Amino acid sequence: MSEPVVNITNLHLRYHHKPVLQDLNWTIKRGENWLLRGASGTGKTSLAKAIAGLIKFDGKIDINFDQQNSLPAVAHYVANWYQFKDLEGQSNFYYQQRYNKQAEETTATVRAELENYGKNHQLDFADAEKLVAALGFSELLNSTLIQLSSGEHKKLQLVEALWFRPQLLIMDQPYNGLDKLSRKHLNSLLEEISEGGTQLILISNDRELPAVINCFAEIRDGQVHVTDAAHIPDFKLETDRPVPEFLREGPVSKTESIVHMNDVNISYGDKQVLKNINWEVKAGEKWLLQGHNGSGKSTLLSLITGDHPQAYANDFSLFGHRRGSGESIWDIKKRMGLISPELQWYFDASATVRDSIISGFFDSSGLFRTPTYTQSTQADELIHYFGLTEYKNTLINQLPLGKQRLAFLARTIIKNPELLILDEPCQGLDQHQAQHFNKLVDELCSNGTTLIYVGHFESQLPACIEKRILLENGEVKSVEPILESI
Amino acid sequence: MSNYFNTLPLREKLNQLGVCDFMDSSEFLDGVDALKGKKLVIVGCGAQGLNQGLNLRDSGLNIAYALRKEAIEGKRDSWKNATENNFPVGTYEELIPEADLVINLTPDKQHTAVVNAVMPFMKQGSTLLYSHGFNIVEEGLQVRKDITVIMVAPKSPGSEVRAEYVRGFGVPTLIAVHPENDPEGKGLAQAKAYCVGTGGHRAGVLKSSFVAEVKSDLMGEQTILCGLLQTGSILSFDKMVEKGIDAGYASKLVQYGVEVITEALKHGGITAMMDRLSNVAKIKAFEVSEELKTIMRPLFQKHQDDIMSGEFSRIMMEDWAAGDKNLLAWRAATGETAFEKTPAGDVKIGEQEYFDNALLMVAFIRAGVELAFETMVEAGIKPESAYYESLHETPLIANTIARKKLFEMNRVISDTAEYGCYLFDHACKPLLADFMTKVETDLIGKNFNEGKDGSVDNSALISVNEVIRSHEVETIGAELRKAMTAMKSIKTV
Repeated sequence: MSEPVVNITNLHLRYHHKPVLQDLNWTIKRGENWLLRGASGTGKTSLAKAIAGLIKFDGKIDINFDQQNSLPAVAHYVANWYQFKDLEGQSNFYYQQRYNKQAEETTATVRAELENYGKNHQLDFADAEKLVAALGFSELLNSTLIQLSSGEHKKLQLVEALWFRPQLLIMDQPYNGLDKLSRKHLNSLLEEISEGGTQLILISNDRELPAVINCFAEIRDGQVHVTDAAHIPDFKLETDRPVPEFLREGPVSKTESIVHMNDVNISYGDKQVLKNINWEVKAGEKWLLQGHNGSGKSTLLSLITGDHPQAYANDFSLFGHRRGSGESIWDIKKRMGLISPELQWYFDASATVRDSIISGFFDSSGLFRTPTYTQSTQADELIHYFGLTEYKNTLINQLPLGKQRLAFLARTIIKNPELLILDEPCQGLDQHQAQHFNKLVDELCSNGTTLIYVGHFESQLPACIEKRILLENGEVKSVEPILESI
Repeated sequence: MSNYFNTLPLREKLNQLGVCDFMDSSEFLDGVDALKGKKLVIVGCGAQGLNQGLNLRDSGLNIAYALRKEAIEGKRDSWKNATENNFPVGTYEELIPEADLVINLTPDKQHTAVVNAVMPFMKQGSTLLYSHGFNIVEEGLQVRKDITVIMVAPKSPGSEVRAEYVRGFGVPTLIAVHPENDPEGKGLAQAKAYCVGTGGHRAGVLKSSFVAEVKSDLMGEQTILCGLLQTGSILSFDKMVEKGIDAGYASKLVQYGVEVITEALKHGGITAMMDRLSNVAKIKAFEVSEELKTIMRPLFQKHQDDIMSGEFSRIMMEDWAAGDKNLLAWRAATGETAFEKTPAGDVKIGEQEYFDNALLMVAFIRAGVELAFETMVEAGIKPESAYYESLHETPLIANTIARKKLFEMNRVISDTAEYGCYLFDHACKPLLADFMTKVETDLIGKNFNEGKDGSVDNSALISVNEVIRSHEVETIGAELRKAMTAMKSIKTV
């Protein structure tokens, strides 16, 4: 039972010309299920891809699959986010596309995608249906890929991997975007396939793990360090830099009411995604928006950000103006800073870190204008504040996920807006980065900024949050104050 | 009705052909003000109609859709598009009398019927907007004298018009005011405001005229954009198969090659495209393209002549009257070509390989772009307009071929473009028959550099570079590309 399955010797690996892994040695034996932790940018993803044979490296990786085992003799890597293409083989999407009724049919349905996956991997569709049901995903089978939320994309990706059941399954941030219940379901499913003979390597800094995880390691300084279960990785504490001066001024809200919704309804054909929503957000309030995957959170936010075409058929006001009374979406966006997983995925792939951050001044998904001198210097200050100076001219999509997030966070706050809409801002961040960011949110909001925050992980919320709105199946389930730290 | 252009004296013909002004972004500082609070009614809700309407509404303007009674009662796609996006929808009778601006976004061939149907309902002093000048220029439709007639033509498919707008950018756009219909002198201000409403002002706006737009648009789409890309693709594919190259490979090399090659064109013009070849290959591609230019020039000139004289429109309108008999037959024939029927093979082709193994395609594209540009400029069209209608649009059409091959490319473009494309293709293939007998696989299908040591004569290379780089399409192109701030990259396969 204890012969090595994976044997890595003297692995060297560079990521965009910088050494990431150096002289790395690691042995995985049969029966071992690993958790791999580490700060952002330490090389977790690179190591996983090297084992799965997806990238070039120097050194040796031997994998000895069990020839008696009927499971596919494959080391299968599941990426930290779900990438897909439209029916013409392109993935040139924009983040608002899922609200565009006419764009629906440009991508495959979930069912067609699964059928195709099953055909390519010679799998039985009935098995997928069980997984789909277990992850509470059944009613989305006829939805198209572009319509899914970030959590739903993650679920689809998980269904495929669990269905495939390779001998070695490497999952990069499998909990990203999943609600609490889905995380639990995922853990039991992982336990199940592990008992069926699949070995696991999970890359995650989360704490709720499947019970079958029995080995722990941290990547630090380019090498794998075996640790115990309770070990908390060494997240390098960067010196606490002061918040740039230009962000310390409180924004001026000219209206008392920021968002006011009266019986708001959104439906696609027969499917109603928001039902009779009544909600008021007053200037300076700090809200937490919660709900399970698919409960309507993103749709609700898309109304506020001017991204949903059905906004015009509903009775609601933004910044004191009835929506559809002559304002442009750019007038609205000017007053808010937005971050969401979708915004990040579908962002202009040709933008550098610096361009992406500056684009926050113009609310564009890429930089299409010449910034002023002040805008450029403020961007540089913020880049320094987030410790991104050495990456500022790198293409943003070439950064590790955590660092990309930091850059997008900088983009969100750069114009010091009246309203911050943070849709799972800490997804992909390590614990230190999340704390650091939430502290910054607290600091910005202490000046009177209005906040709407979406987060599944109770341990990763800013302290300033004072109220919570909970959605369930498109309806407001509860609105309640939040007392000191949850 | 008679051809408007042909009624003009020569001086006025040249005047209108010569309207061409690349507008400075400072001209758009008034935003959408000229249309604010006005009632905008769009006639037709297809891809352009819907997506322009979504953008205009998101820019704070008041939009409704006027559809024919049958479309509303039959709940046709146009009705669904509009209502699913919560736009008010009504018949011509209900909505047009209220409209300050009527936007005609129906297909070319319906224009006369549509405009004649809406005009009686249009109020005094209102404005009629087109996105293509065919109806006014070629059919000579007369619009009531109190009505202002303008054109705003985004140079991209409707879905892109929307995608670029919500990204915070836009697509290059052409605007114009019809000199016979600008009674209050407000046409330009309204056209600019409309352009801001659709986001076009961020990506470069060319002020043109109805005449210049029609005559250059027809020429570009018939020759380089659709016609030559079709001819070049089919000839290249057939040659490879004839010479024993794997059909799947040949199909992929052509289908995706046009996109990869013209991607270089988009970023740095003919120069950048030719520079992707090795020095020996570049000199060869230059020689081949010069030969192609000599062979094809009379055909380009014939197309331009027929467009200027109205002969092209006349025969196409005859086909309209015959229920699109020719168009439909030619379309069906395109679907039957071997290239169309051979799916792209499951082979990996590297980005550079698309250049090295398809020297002939590079030569076709250089020859076609330069010929179209030269012929237009000789005919009195300004270089900026000629650039837009030749080099600028080539990558956009190539992108459609990469996604859908020729049959679907022809379905996506307008029927007018498609008709002209077939005319060109049918005349061009026999013209190139002798030339093609000399072509071997070193020009298409295999790496031209193979078995060569790569050495070239300095002075030969320098003079070739000089000719390529000093062409007017290059100098004007460099200037215009700089003005169109951000160029998006298309994914290569």
